[in-house]
Amino acid sequence: MPREVLLIDAEKCTGCRACELICSLCHVARFNPRRSRIRILRDYKRGEAVPTICRQCEKPACAQACPTKAIIRNQKTGAMLIDLDRCTKCEACISACQFRGVTVDPVTKYPIKCDLCGGNPICVRFCARGSIKLAFT
Amino acid sequence: MFKYKGYRGTLLRVDLSKNKLTKTPLPIELAELYIGGTGFCARILWDEVGPQTDPLGPENRLIFATGPLTGTFFPPSGRFVIAAKSPLTGIWGEAHCGGHWGPELKYAGYDLIILQGCARKPVYLNINDSSVELRDAAHLWNMNTRETTEAIRAELKDDTVEVACIGQAGERKVKFASVICDFYHAAGRSGMGAVMGSKNVKAVAVRGSGDVEVADPEGFLKVAEEAYEKVTVEWREVCEGSLGKYGTPNLVTAINEIGRLPTKNHLTGFYDNAEAIGGHILRDRYRVSRQSCLSCGIQCKYISYINNGLYKGTLTGGPEYESIMALGSNCFNEDVEAIIHANLLCNLYGLDTISTGKVISFAMECYANGIVAKRETGIDLSWGNPIGIVELIHRIAKREGFGNILADGVRAAAKCIGKGAERYAMHVKGLEISGQDGRAQQSVALTHAIGCRGADHLRSLSSLEELGFTQTLATRFGEEYVQGLQNLHSTQHKGLLVKDMEDLYAIVDSLLLCKYGTMWPPIYYFDDIAKLLPPLTGMKRYADISNIRMTAERICTLRRAFNVREGLTRSDDCLPERFLKEPMPNGPAKGMVAELEPMLEEYYQLRGWDSKTGWIPRAVLKKFGLSDVADELERLGKLP
Repeated sequence: MPREVLLIDAEKCTGCRACELICSLCHVARFNPRRSRIRILRDYKRGEAVPTICRQCEKPACAQACPTKAIIRNQKTGAMLIDLDRCTKCEACISACQFRGVTVDPVTKYPIKCDLCGGNPICVRFCARGSIKLAFT
Repeated sequence: MFKYKGYRGTLLRVDLSKNKLTKTPLPIELAELYIGGTGFCARILWDEVGPQTDPLGPENRLIFATGPLTGTFFPPSGRFVIAAKSPLTGIWGEAHCGGHWGPELKYAGYDLIILQGCARKPVYLNINDSSVELRDAAHLWNMNTRETTEAIRAELKDDTVEVACIGQAGERKVKFASVICDFYHAAGRSGMGAVMGSKNVKAVAVRGSGDVEVADPEGFLKVAEEAYEKVTVEWREVCEGSLGKYGTPNLVTAINEIGRLPTKNHLTGFYDNAEAIGGHILRDRYRVSRQSCLSCGIQCKYISYINNGLYKGTLTGGPEYESIMALGSNCFNEDVEAIIHANLLCNLYGLDTISTGKVISFAMECYANGIVAKRETGIDLSWGNPIGIVELIHRIAKREGFGNILADGVRAAAKCIGKGAERYAMHVKGLEISGQDGRAQQSVALTHAIGCRGADHLRSLSSLEELGFTQTLATRFGEEYVQGLQNLHSTQHKGLLVKDMEDLYAIVDSLLLCKYGTMWPPIYYFDDIAKLLPPLTGMKRYADISNIRMTAERICTLRRAFNVREGLTRSDDCLPERFLKEPMPNGPAKGMVAELEPMLEEYYQLRGWDSKTGWIPRAVLKKFGLSDVADELERLGKLP
């Protein structure tokens, strides 16, 4: 089944991390890159930036690894969402994802991942290079 | 919890002599009266540093300050400032820097750091959220900035650590040593790297995972979104078409076209070979990627690489306009690969590219005029000799031979050399002149003459008449002023223009915002800041533009007061004779000289300063709530 995911053109990414800031503002009403669902790994010496984000996999390793079945696909957007009521903060999902799509919120200690902002991802709107796109895969 | 948002509410003070680290609440009135950045530094340096302070002694303070915008989404922010009494000039020193270091300090929980005293052996400050420690840096000493950054990241086992460090130049207290962040971002001017070296501090490493909050997230998002639209849509032609596509090197040919590109140590402002060192060549042949400071919609940064020839393997950020000017046209050097390599060397050693280029061009002019010869320099310093430029950079950074003389800056070097060398020393108040020429643009002459850190463009340069933003001139000053203001060669209203720019940048440098978006293109003005500050901080009084202007003038006045206390008078607000007496020999500004006096008069009058002494009357200080400053100046006999 085709589904919408965020596709990022790493070649275009300049490492400005505006996506991280707008993501954290829209999710937790604060600026904190480490609470962002999208993360940019920078190597400024070589001028490289590698964006990492959840791919909303067809067979998500995070959901399979979750002992409490807390990671469930949202039928409307196709995004894998974490049910915090069921989450035990065991971090099995973080270890399971080979794409570094799940990270820990340093304040709440819950795992966090891209939820596609309910279908209209804010990072797409504020990427000055247009390197983030919502597209069918 | 701090009263206002946008701040973390904590000041970190490190007494290196006592090995004591103290966290104190940020004083509320400091935020209210000075906003952040340069404003914070002005108050702290006034309070804690004085004429008795040796810039390279333990009593000097080295301040790393952020502002309420640092670490937020607002474009183009992401900056911080380092300030101290300058070892190069002996007066107010400050250097600003982009990248990601400043925001990281905010995420770690601090608005500013004050370093004081002197460590007994080399150390580096390691900040990881609330955990702060001084670590041994003996193994890092003698490393360049690249090696230092990589070694610290390896030692802390974290590639995301933001590192601000000095290279060998700062260790050896070269008086224009810079502090380098993340390999290529420089807090360049006025020798902040030398102050850091004098304190035996090799680096400040920061990681942070805390929140920067704003007073009204929805309101702030709205303002930030409007700002983002202005940068990426409304001003797209300049922001993306010029700054984005070519970066600051695009200015090389643009500035040459108005005859203001410093060439041959300011002998002229027109360079025949500007194309050869301009933005197109750098983009087409050497650019490997475009980069950005944190959350910038403009993104002017880029990385260059040379893949063959003499400088094969050179990998560096930039070079930026000022570096190309200083190491290129200013030294009559058309070898663009030598410029890129020289820029890398300055980044690695931690040298300010502007001052480095200017001391070299000074040496070259002395060489050409027989004041110094090869037996003294040890190097062929003929105009434009790229090998000589590169070799001299090594010797300056290592303080070897003739390089040791130049390492104290052009003012001191001229004094040391004697034989009339002063004639070729292009500086104001000891700071080598940045990449403009007041003969081709009169407002620049005033900007250089009154700059609080010396001959500097970043405190008050106007691009409005330089690059033809006539509509902006009309909006800001009124139609009746446009004719005089837009004429590059007229002194009319230029006191007004420069004072207004200086006030605006005082706020820009306190928030902190970048000069791109404020200087060029002129996107934001006081009204934009009035819309921004209340939802950011919750300080409602800053919705009133007059309160912002009041704070701007308070900061400018206090920085001036710092310099007055150090002994500055009106006679220091001057330019080298070259600009005042030697007409521009060629180019579009041919025949022009800088007419400083009428502009200075207008500027002093608008500031309310005494035009005989250049001092600040008590009434002016009182108006800005600086009566304590007036008292101290009176005790020292420095009130008019």
